[in-house]
Amino acid sequence: MAQLANIGELLSMLDSPTLGVRDDVTTIFKESLNSERGPMLVNTLVDYYLETNSQPVLHILTTLQEPHDKHLLDKINEYVGKAATRLSILSLLGHVVRLQPSWKHKLSQAPLLPSLLKCLKMDTDVVVLTTGVLVLITMLPMIPQSGKQHLLDFFDIFGRLSSWCLKKPGHVTEVYLVHLHASVYALFHRLYGMYPCNFVSFLRSHYSMKENVETFEEVVKPMMEHVRIHPELVTGSKDHELDPRRWKTLETHDVVIECAKISLDPSEASYEDGYSVSHQLSACFPHRSADVTASPYVDTQNSYGGTTSTPSSTSRLMLFSPAGQLPQSLSSPSTRLLPEPLQATHWSPSMVCGMTTPPTSPGNVPPELSHPYSKAFSTTGGKGTPLGTPATSPPPALPCPPDDCVHGPSSQATATPPRKEERADSSRPYLQRQQYLLNDRGLEDPPASKGSVTLGNLPDFLGDLASEEDSIEKDKEEAAISKELSEITTAEADPVVPRGGFDSPFYRDSLSSSQRKTHSAASGTQGSSVNPEPLHSSLDKHGPDTPKQAFTPIDPPSGSADASPAGDRDRQTSLETSILTPSPCKIPPQRGVSFGSGQPPPYDHLFEVALPKTACHFVSKKTEELLKKVKGTPDEDCVPSTSPMEVLDRLIEQGADAHSKELSKLSLPSKSVDWTHFGGSPPSDEIRTLRDQLLLLHNQLLYERFKRQQHALRNRRLLRKVIRAAALEEHNAAMKDQLKLQEKDIQMWKLSLEKEQDRYSQLQDQHDTMVTQLHSQIRQLQHDREEFYNQSQELQTKLEDCRNMIAELRVELKKANNKVCHTELLLSQVSQKLSNSESVQQQMEFLNRQLLVLGEVNELYLEQLQSKHPDTTKEVEMMKTAYRKELEKNRSHLLQQNQRLDASQRRVLELESLLAKKDHLLLEQKKYLEDVKSQASGQLLAAESRYEAQRKITRVLELEILDLYGRLEKDGRLRKLEEDKAETAEAAEERLDCCSDGCSDSLVGHNEEASGHNGEARTTRPSGPRASCGGRSTGGSSSSSSELSTPEKPPSQRFNSRWETTVGEPSGSIPTTVGSLPSSKSFLGMKARELFRNKSESQCDEDCVTGSSLSETLKTELGRDSGMENKTPFNLDASHPSSPNSDSVGQLHIMDYNETHQEHS
Amino acid sequence: MTDDSQRNFRSVYYEKVGFRGVEEKKSLEILLKDDPLDIEKLCTFSQRFPLPSMYRALVWKVLLGILPPHHDSHAQVMAYRKDQYSDVLHALTVVRFISDATPQVEVYLRMYQLESGKLPRSPSFPMEPEDEVFLAIAKAMEEMVEDSIDCYWLTRCFVKQLHSKFRDSLPQLPKAFEQYLNLEDSRLLSHLKTCSAVSKLPYDLWFKRCFAGCLPESSLQRVWDKVVSGSCKILVFVAVEILLTFKIKVMALNSVEKITEFLENIPQDSSDAIVSKAIDLWHKHCGTPAHSA
Repeated sequence: MAQLANIGELLSMLDSPTLGVRDDVTTIFKESLNSERGPMLVNTLVDYYLETNSQPVLHILTTLQEPHDKHLLDKINEYVGKAATRLSILSLLGHVVRLQPSWKHKLSQAPLLPSLLKCLKMDTDVVVLTTGVLVLITMLPMIPQSGKQHLLDFFDIFGRLSSWCLKKPGHVTEVYLVHLHASVYALFHRLYGMYPCNFVSFLRSHYSMKENVETFEEVVKPMMEHVRIHPELVTGSKDHELDPRRWKTLETHDVVIECAKISLDPSEASYEDGYSVSHQLSACFPHRSADVTASPYVDTQNSYGGTTSTPSSTSRLMLFSPAGQLPQSLSSPSTRLLPEPLQATHWSPSMVCGMTTPPTSPGNVPPELSHPYSKAFSTTGGKGTPLGTPATSPPPALPCPPDDCVHGPSSQATATPPRKEERADSSRPYLQRQQYLLNDRGLEDPPASKGSVTLGNLPDFLGDLASEEDSIEKDKEEAAISKELSEITTAEADPVVPRGGFDSPFYRDSLSSSQRKTHSAASGTQGSSVNPEPLHSSLDKHGPDTPKQAFTPIDPPSGSADASPAGDRDRQTSLETSILTPSPCKIPPQRGVSFGSGQPPPYDHLFEVALPKTACHFVSKKTEELLKKVKGTPDEDCVPSTSPMEVLDRLIEQGADAHSKELSKLSLPSKSVDWTHFGGSPPSDEIRTLRDQLLLLHNQLLYERFKRQQHALRNRRLLRKVIRAAALEEHNAAMKDQLKLQEKDIQMWKLSLEKEQDRYSQLQDQHDTMVTQLHSQIRQLQHDREEFYNQSQELQTKLEDCRNMIAELRVELKKANNKVCHTELLLSQVSQKLSNSESVQQQMEFLNRQLLVLGEVNELYLEQLQSKHPDTTKEVEMMKTAYRKELEKNRSHLLQQNQRLDASQRRVLELESLLAKKDHLLLEQKKYLEDVKSQASGQLLAAESRYEAQRKITRVLELEILDLYGRLEKDGRLRKLEEDKAETAEAAEERLDCCSDGCSDSLVGHNEEASGHNGEARTTRPSGPRASCGGRSTGGSSSSSSELSTPEKPPSQRFNSRWETTVGEPSGSIPTTVGSLPSSKSFLGMKARELFRNKSESQCDEDCVTGSSLSETLKTELGRDSGMENKTPFNLDASHPSSPNSDSVGQLHIMDYNETHQEHS
Repeated sequence: MTDDSQRNFRSVYYEKVGFRGVEEKKSLEILLKDDPLDIEKLCTFSQRFPLPSMYRALVWKVLLGILPPHHDSHAQVMAYRKDQYSDVLHALTVVRFISDATPQVEVYLRMYQLESGKLPRSPSFPMEPEDEVFLAIAKAMEEMVEDSIDCYWLTRCFVKQLHSKFRDSLPQLPKAFEQYLNLEDSRLLSHLKTCSAVSKLPYDLWFKRCFAGCLPESSLQRVWDKVVSGSCKILVFVAVEILLTFKIKVMALNSVEKITEFLENIPQDSSDAIVSKAIDLWHKHCGTPAHSA
């Protein structure tokens, strides 16, 4: 509770006149709002606001943060339900919504929206309706997706209100209806822009009803003339329109612009599409304008340099030209000068401030920011007007203290003075031109203005002004300016009007205005009242004709409303002024300041800021466009239907005019006097009407401001794009420069390349020449070489010749040498011979001497002999001869003997060698013999072994045969046993003995008997079986056929036994058996012989020697049978195999040389 | 010798470095080129070097007297041998000792018996130990020699040589074996003695059959090279080496039967190494026969 009380105190303190306290309290509230979450504080604030309309509270409420939005909306919803508070709460809602709080998306879900819609459907108060519709229009682009639920509500509201416009239910004032019409028009635009398909279908269905046809004809149809076909009607569908996705990408201002795009109403339409073109066209405009204006206004420019008041007035004139149009036409210039400030109070705040204030969060923008902005402004060459402007002035809606407002412009003024100067230079003439235009218009218009008496005729009356209304919005303003410009051009082209006449008074007027300003507006009126008398008269004429009764009631309150700020009254006290203050609050202090200090009016720079180069460029473009239009359709001015906006504008203008007219009748100082003084106490309902009107106007104003903010937002974005494009262009330019540089480089390179090529070609030439030179040299050298080669060949041939010669010479030399050697040899031989001959000569001499000596001796001896024995000489001689003969004989004999010896010796040698050879031969022969012998022995051994094997084979075969015989015999015996059982008793006994004696192992006991029988049978008859027995026995024992063939030989079992013994004694008996044949006489023997003849015949022949011995053995065996048995023959048998061996060895030994020799020796 | 000039002088160094058999084939070819073959030299060669397998049959035939030393008479003698073989074979077929179904080894045996006059009366008579030996040797020989005639002759002469030439030395071999085993490894011998297995070692298999059936033919023929060339002592060293090689196993066995059984069925995989070592051992103890003895 204490806190509540505290709040109450604080609330009261909020409205305290001291700024500091206000700020403090505001901050306190904000902090408490931040800390507290409950709805109480918000509720209290809303209540307080509804009570007092306090601006700080409004400020607080409009800047509420997230958690409190629900409370605020709930509270508003609550109050909307109550009829009493509806209007004020709707205005509060409008304030809140226009600032686009961060929680604006919640509006669609809040219960406030349905209740608002309900209110709009139900309420009958025009003011509330207008306010509510405006709020709704403002909200619609923020919550586009809510259309889905409430679309029909919107359409219903539209239908209801549109019919209201026509039907005027109840006692609705027509003035209100103008406002309502305007708002419905706006709603139409919005709905058509946002939901075209649905809206069109609604229109189709709604106005197809008969009762609504009239409404359609009167109200809706004219509206439809101001829109073009929405592209969505072609491409979209009802559902698609309501699709939230469609709205997701669009911001609020996007939606607003979207709606503006489809509008044909120049006051509404957006020219965004053509914006980019304006840049190119813009450049030429200032020059042109300068050209046009330069000559006449050189002096004025000079004068402007010093004075400041004139520009302000002119600028004001220009700016308020749409507004001033009527006054101009109705009243004299002198009077028109007077209402200027008043009009300014009316319009300039909204226009100038609105133009220059930032649309969002203006309070946050510090004034210092103007510096960078202005810098940017100055550097970018005026393109950034919208950028520069926001910082220059505080927000109009912001209930800021006057100081701030002053600061804004002043700082701006200080921040951009140099820029401003230029701007002023460029723009002032232009503005002055406008003034002239206005003057021209003022002269021209009266006839037309006379026609526009009634409200219904207003469009006709103001047909030419169609494009100039609603100067709040920049576009519109520009459009208006362009329109004016176009008219200027036409005016220039039109020689009918003498310009100079109008120039001079205005010129003077502007010159003198400086003094006028310093004093008061009254002096201005005095000075200016001289000229425009006709205008005044025209107004006078106009006055009675027009149904001014309708307007007159407006005049006094408007005048009072204007007057109150003009007189710098306490706005806080009066409710109307307080409502109005948001917009005009800035202007009064400014004006006051300007009045007080004598400074030029602040609009000046504001205006300059508001009309930067871009604007000018844009304007110029528009101008051109419009020029074309004007030329093409001169009747455009007389547009058949005017939009409700224009109607409203005109209403306002007219109200202003009326007001100014009223004021002009008063003395200036009387302005400060309480307005009751001038009209007495006005009727209360009029006051109410006026208040409502004011309120409506204010609402309209706020709505327009909101639109402007959206546009400003858009502009910013576009500007960003522009800047980016510019940056890109610069980048492009830089790239181009680079390209150029690179091209230059390339050219340089090309040049150098050419140089290099030249150099290269030169070098090539040099090289070629060098090559040719070298080639020639080479050729020469080759030639030389060939010559040399020839020479060398010649020389070689010579050399060859020389060599040949040398060889020949050498041969000759050799020959000579040989000869020399030969001769030397000969010489040596000769010398030897010589020496020999010499020695022989010496010997000869010696021998000769000896011979001589011997001769002498011989002579001596002869002498002696002759002297001694001459008789014996004969004998001696005889003997001598005998001796000689004998000696010779002996000698010859000896010689013979020697010769014989030699011969014999030689013979001996020969024989010896022969002997050796023979020995050698013998040895070789021996070796060879040995060799052959060994070879033969080898072969013999092999043959021997083969032979042995053969013998063994035969033995085995014989064994086999004997075995077989044995079996046969056994069979035979068995047969005989049957035949001769009785007759063999003794023989059997004898046989038994024999058997026991010899036969033991091989023959069975059964055989014994048989053998016994055999023996007896043999003894008795030696045929058949006995022969077989004998054959067997002979086969076993003997090898000779001759002996064995004797049939008388007793076949006995002893042979068998002997057989056994021989088997047991293989070494002895084997050779004997080999080659043996059975007896030829016996049958089986013959057969066996035939069988083995081929193999053993030769052996039988060979072994004939052994045969005899074998026969002996047989005999001995037979003998043994009779008891004189001896075993010696076996020995003989045993010796047999060795004997042939020894024989053969001996035979082989015969071959042996040595052994034979030994044998022989 | 004149042959030496033809031999590669490096052959001595080959042996020094350890390459064996590099020059042997060549030198053997040189030896075989002599017209009357020098039996002595062939003997020495065979004792000293392993014979190349392509000349083994020829050398053996020459050494065993199947072929005379003269090349000229080889063909004729061989024809005799062939005739003899076919005659004997024919005779045996006639007396129905053998048939086509008779195993070749038995055929050899019957032929041998026939030629030595020991042919039993009936083929069904039980075999004598001698015949078993012959069969084992013939079996081994059959593996070594392809031709049946050669095989028969080699077997026959080999057995004959065993019976004639080594008749005296064969019974001495067990003693020699004991002696050399004592030299090489007395512990093993003592182990055998403690097991009283010395007298029961498979001497028949070793010395009478000359390891036929004990060693694989590939290594056996290397042993027989020596035997054919007149040295039966190699058998002793082979036996010693077998014991040395399987010493660990033999030492592990304690009973006579097991030792005998093991020695009768020694693993065949290491036989080559055994034979090589045995030959080395033989050379070591008996000295390498002089090259030109």
